[in-house]
Amino acid sequence: MKRTKTFAAGLSALFWVAVGLLTCYGATRLGLGSVTEPGAGFIFFWSGLILVILSLIVLADSIRSSEDPVREMGEMNWAKIALVLLSLLLYAFFLERLGFVLTTFVLMSFLLGCIEGINRVRSVGVAGAAALASYAIFELWLKIRLPKGPLGF
Amino acid sequence: MLESLTSLVYGFNIALQPQNLLYCFIGVTMGTLVGVLPGIGPTATIALLLPATFALNPISAIIMLSGICYGAMYGGSTTSILLNIPGEASSVVTCFDGYQMARQGRAGAALGISAFGSFIAGSFSIFGLILLAPTLANFALRFGPPEYFALMVMGLTVVAYLARKSMAKALMMAVVGILLGCIGLDPITATPRFTFGILELADGIGIAPVVMGLFGIAEVLENLGVLTKTEVFAEKIKGLFPTREDWKRCMGPLARGSLLGFFLGLLPGVGAIVPQFLSYALEKKLSRHPERFGKGAIEGVASPEACNNAAVGGTFIPLLSLGIPSTAMTAILLGALMIYGLTPGPLLIKNSPDLFWGVIASMYIGNLMLLILNLPLIPLWVRVLKIPYSYLSCFIILFCLIGAYSLNNSTTDIYVAVAFSFIGLLMKKFAFEPAPLVLAFVLGPLLETALRRSLILSDGSVLIFLQRPISAAFILFSIVFLVAPLFSHLRLGRGLSEED
Repeated sequence: MKRTKTFAAGLSALFWVAVGLLTCYGATRLGLGSVTEPGAGFIFFWSGLILVILSLIVLADSIRSSEDPVREMGEMNWAKIALVLLSLLLYAFFLERLGFVLTTFVLMSFLLGCIEGINRVRSVGVAGAAALASYAIFELWLKIRLPKGPLGF
Repeated sequence: MLESLTSLVYGFNIALQPQNLLYCFIGVTMGTLVGVLPGIGPTATIALLLPATFALNPISAIIMLSGICYGAMYGGSTTSILLNIPGEASSVVTCFDGYQMARQGRAGAALGISAFGSFIAGSFSIFGLILLAPTLANFALRFGPPEYFALMVMGLTVVAYLARKSMAKALMMAVVGILLGCIGLDPITATPRFTFGILELADGIGIAPVVMGLFGIAEVLENLGVLTKTEVFAEKIKGLFPTREDWKRCMGPLARGSLLGFFLGLLPGVGAIVPQFLSYALEKKLSRHPERFGKGAIEGVASPEACNNAAVGGTFIPLLSLGIPSTAMTAILLGALMIYGLTPGPLLIKNSPDLFWGVIASMYIGNLMLLILNLPLIPLWVRVLKIPYSYLSCFIILFCLIGAYSLNNSTTDIYVAVAFSFIGLLMKKFAFEPAPLVLAFVLGPLLETALRRSLILSDGSVLIFLQRPISAAFILFSIVFLVAPLFSHLRLGRGLSEED
């Protein structure tokens, strides 16, 4: 178990090494300028380099340390998490196409009914109320412009 | 001093205007509500409400947003005492003795001392703010780009030093925050940097979607299927006024907690979480009966509650006098000030005295509102806590999505929020702390500008940071904080982690 966690922690450190290196590469393409006149990529290059060094320290630390490098987070339901994230991406995609009220109603029905397991009638009722109430609060009261769909709301 | 008092009277004239009173009330009530509710904090709430304040004048807006900051400290203790779950990260310590008091039938006294303690500490920190902020702002007029750069570096180093787990990981997150904060057009040459051809990224990544993702949605994702039913301990709460014996025991802890919280809150990067652990440890050490701590000692509630409220007041000083945020929460307030067209920094007090003194006076009024309203409203908060988390979590997600979208009316910001929620979840999994990232994200562009200006000023010599005494002092402190972990007994954050 400990070995798996060390592997995971090492992998995350290597990910940041890669991010740091790619940032340095991107920064050189932007132009580093000189110390007297720093260019657009100056801060990115040095920050990227520091990130690589720190990631290597974390990598070494995760191999040496006797502590668990990865936090125990209880039972995480990755399938549900993936479904929620996917539904949020779809929400962003359809928001301006279908309008706020309809998209919000569908999202809330899904989250309440399918993710949280609340019975269908109640989840549809709460989702409808949530969509209408949030529209009233944000659009009508707080004057925040929310996207309108083909139905005009 | 006399000048400050005259200015404060002027501030009260502004804060007592009906519109400002209303927004102060809305702010403290919203703050208490989000403080009570686990899963959404003041940082995400301020980001959520930011777009709604665009129609307001900046003074009313900042009065309301500040109200959320200190209102959340009051609300957080209610959940800690009644549920043994901190409503806010800065109320963790209140759980230790507060919940035990509730189990012994003294929930009322715990809630009462926490409200009175918060009020006393809040008033003390406002007094400190009045005294110190203008003085510090005058002093900061001597600051040039090197001093600002060095101060920001010190702030980020302190945040990393106080990290609960690995300091290297916290520093990594600070660097990632700087990188993300600098995405967009170059401030001097207007070259697009790391925008990948996405037009919306030319203005940079917005703070609201980042905060919504990291602090709002990520929290819900982490708790999916974990928090199912909340059990509120106290059914009927009585005896909200602490007894004379309680007061006798709490006077010292309240005074010490207020002082410690305020002065630690002043330091860039410290915030309200660390001071409350220290105040608890201090009281335990000073107590004649340390064995009572953790078993329902009222001092164990009074001191940390006073401490976290005083610390919030302290964090406003670097924000209002230097334009440097010291916590994720004040980082968003800094963003708000800039959106309203104000220039945070030493000249803010001079150029916008109505805003500065109006906000300070409103903080006093807000604290009074919280004291008067909070105790009678506790039964209402108890009912709020009985709402199943399965419903709350869906509403938190919805509000975060609206908050992310509404700042620029752009769905790109929703994609950003969703991406950061996943990143936030992975960060939790791999023990990376989000606070250094958010702080560095806001400071990144300021830090870059200060660095480039300093180098241009010195004709490319990095020695400029050491040749000027103030910046040299900040750099020296940064080095001390960086080197301290090598002597592991000096690592404060690690000690706090063990205390958990």
